[in-house]
Amino acid sequence: MPKRRNSPDVARRNFLKGASLVGAAALTPVAVNAQVAAPRPNLKAAVPGPRQIAAETLPPSKDPVTQTSSGGDFMVDVLKTLDMDYCAINCASSFRGIQEAMINHGNNTKPEILTCTHEEIAVAMAHGYAKMEGKPMAMMCHGVVGLQHAAMALYNAWCDRVPVYVMIGNILEADKRAPGAEWVHSALDPAALVREFLKWDDQPASLQHFAESAVRAYKIATTPPMGPVLLSLDAELQENPIADPEGLRIPRLAKVVPPQADSGAIAELAKMLVAAESPVLVCDRLARTPAGMARLVELAETLQCAVFDNGGRMNFPSRHPLNQSASRAALNQADVILGLETNDIWAAANSFTDRIVRTSRPTTKKGAKIVTLGTRDLYLKSNYQDFARYQELDLAIAGDGEASLPALTEAVKRLIDDGRKSAYQARGKKLAGLRLAALERVRSDATAAWDASPISVPRLCMEVYNQIKDEDWSLVGTSTGNNWPRLLWDFDKAHRWNGGSGGGGIGYTLPASLGAALANKQHGRLTVSIGGDGDFNFAPGTLWTAAHHRIPMLYVVLNNRAYHQEYMYVEAMAGRRSRGVTRADIGTTLKDPNIDYATVARGFGVHGEGPISDPGELAPALKRAIAMVKSGQPALVDVVTEPR
Amino acid sequence: MKRGLGLPVAAGIVAFGIGGLGLPARAQDAPAGDAANGQRVYLADGCFTCHGRVGQGGNYYGTTPMLAKTELPFEGFKQQLRDPVRVMPAYSEAVLSDKEAADIFAFVKTLPGRRPVKDVPLLNN
Repeated sequence: MPKRRNSPDVARRNFLKGASLVGAAALTPVAVNAQVAAPRPNLKAAVPGPRQIAAETLPPSKDPVTQTSSGGDFMVDVLKTLDMDYCAINCASSFRGIQEAMINHGNNTKPEILTCTHEEIAVAMAHGYAKMEGKPMAMMCHGVVGLQHAAMALYNAWCDRVPVYVMIGNILEADKRAPGAEWVHSALDPAALVREFLKWDDQPASLQHFAESAVRAYKIATTPPMGPVLLSLDAELQENPIADPEGLRIPRLAKVVPPQADSGAIAELAKMLVAAESPVLVCDRLARTPAGMARLVELAETLQCAVFDNGGRMNFPSRHPLNQSASRAALNQADVILGLETNDIWAAANSFTDRIVRTSRPTTKKGAKIVTLGTRDLYLKSNYQDFARYQELDLAIAGDGEASLPALTEAVKRLIDDGRKSAYQARGKKLAGLRLAALERVRSDATAAWDASPISVPRLCMEVYNQIKDEDWSLVGTSTGNNWPRLLWDFDKAHRWNGGSGGGGIGYTLPASLGAALANKQHGRLTVSIGGDGDFNFAPGTLWTAAHHRIPMLYVVLNNRAYHQEYMYVEAMAGRRSRGVTRADIGTTLKDPNIDYATVARGFGVHGEGPISDPGELAPALKRAIAMVKSGQPALVDVVTEPR
Repeated sequence: MKRGLGLPVAAGIVAFGIGGLGLPARAQDAPAGDAANGQRVYLADGCFTCHGRVGQGGNYYGTTPMLAKTELPFEGFKQQLRDPVRVMPAYSEAVLSDKEAADIFAFVKTLPGRRPVKDVPLLNN
């Protein structure tokens, strides 16, 4: 607990306490006198002495109204050493001490405050930013009521293994809490609410404790497997003067070098891959940095093997001849499957059918060997079941995937002789042919509802792509089930894509896209996101933050006027029960009235186009919106679409 | 919060499909269907939610098949409605009559479906 100082420089709460005592005495003289007058034969309390009488009857001693130092200032000095560019907040009294210090002591830089209209937005922005920029951003909220709003977004970050640096305000000392709100907004252990999906948290009891925990939190958050961290900041610690400034020291951050896999295990894996007839590399959250994609390309090209990209990060170029993600054929025919930073390798090796009796079966070739390489096994928790089904493996290697790839590629190269090289070339040629055939099949499928109204999803995606393909674009979000961009667009650079929500919590796409857009802004990229209407409605206030902070982003609302996945689930239930599916829209659709997202956008100060149902009107609207984005402003285009 | 979202591409969850299922391949004469009524039922009974309003297909647990210009015989089409393989909802006769099934079949047969990719310049980017 922070030590309360007894100097006259003490916080205003003592003054308030004194005032309330005097006030109480003044208002209740009769009751006090009545108590004194009542017969109390066993009364043993001492008679009030002169000091107590003086305290209860005289005005309080003068309370200082200014201070020359604050714990908040020191906290900001610590945060500045961590090189965090932004801190997204929804303002709250429990962190007013550090907020004011960020603004005035820290000059609102490193971090710069971003104003958000909901804590979920603040966390999701930090989530999207971290994946695009490769470093954490801070968010700050009320420890009790704010953290409850933030919880869903924190769960997404946890599942997505993304570092988010959370700070919350709390009032630890009970006698320092004002009556009313400060009691319902204080907690003994506020982080308990979200601890199951935090990698680490602390509630520092002193400023030195804060300094060490702040640096430690950053280090833990950014060490693979990464994850959100939280510091609970006592309000007194933030607000009060620093008792002993000379005694404080900010420790230096030493980032942890991501661990490479064991060399013996790498050698064994290299042998398996080189000897395999049809090896497949399955990747998910592999590429931590721009180097990740290049390293995976080098390994795949060395082996001339298939790559199956789950898309948790920008792992592999979408149009690379070895990219076989459009179908499971390569997986089903593989004799060695290597999962690289996969969360759910079971899904790559099995099928599952959602019927009355849920069934599953292996889909891999008999005798196929399955290996994993990643940090997944190094940090798991029990309650939330994001670890997926247990898959039997032939080799499980602990190590950071991206950091381990160069050693694996070198080990593979050492084992390849000329005979294998020519076989590999033939394999690569065959895969390139399959890749082209798959692309043609997808393109052909995309033609089927090309002129339909509502607008088909592939038409929407290709109209967007046509407008951005010659820019340095970055797609930072898509709606549920919309895989068309990854099938049809040319994702050839590390910043073209940054993965999904992780936890499947709706309300991610709009704010996380804005966080990624914030990162892209400083690199001059054109940020695009195609988000669902259901997702949009969880956090529409994100648009105000986009407008207020001048964050350029083209946000396309894929408006199918439904929580469409749920719509289909309810149909499936009705089908099982032979009740017909005509009422499955109840509770699953967003119509009557239809929501006009362009008007909503304009209300938040964002350029809005639409609603657009005629495919012929789409290109001009996108052009106008992109012109706005290129001028540094956000823009939204509401497109009424087919379901998927 | 939602369920089953963001399914990984690698997930081996199979979509409801009616192609390549070993259904009767013999030539069948479909009963004369009313395509206009078929369209009404197709939209009212939720076929469009998974297969698209013009039968272009979609996405549920993975890809859902295109129905436009289906090459399935009517009996196979009807069998998939009554006793579907994979995860498609069943449509018993109590909720969808044989006549309505025939009407839907007639409707999807009229849908234009795919066209040559070369005719769609945006798809050649």
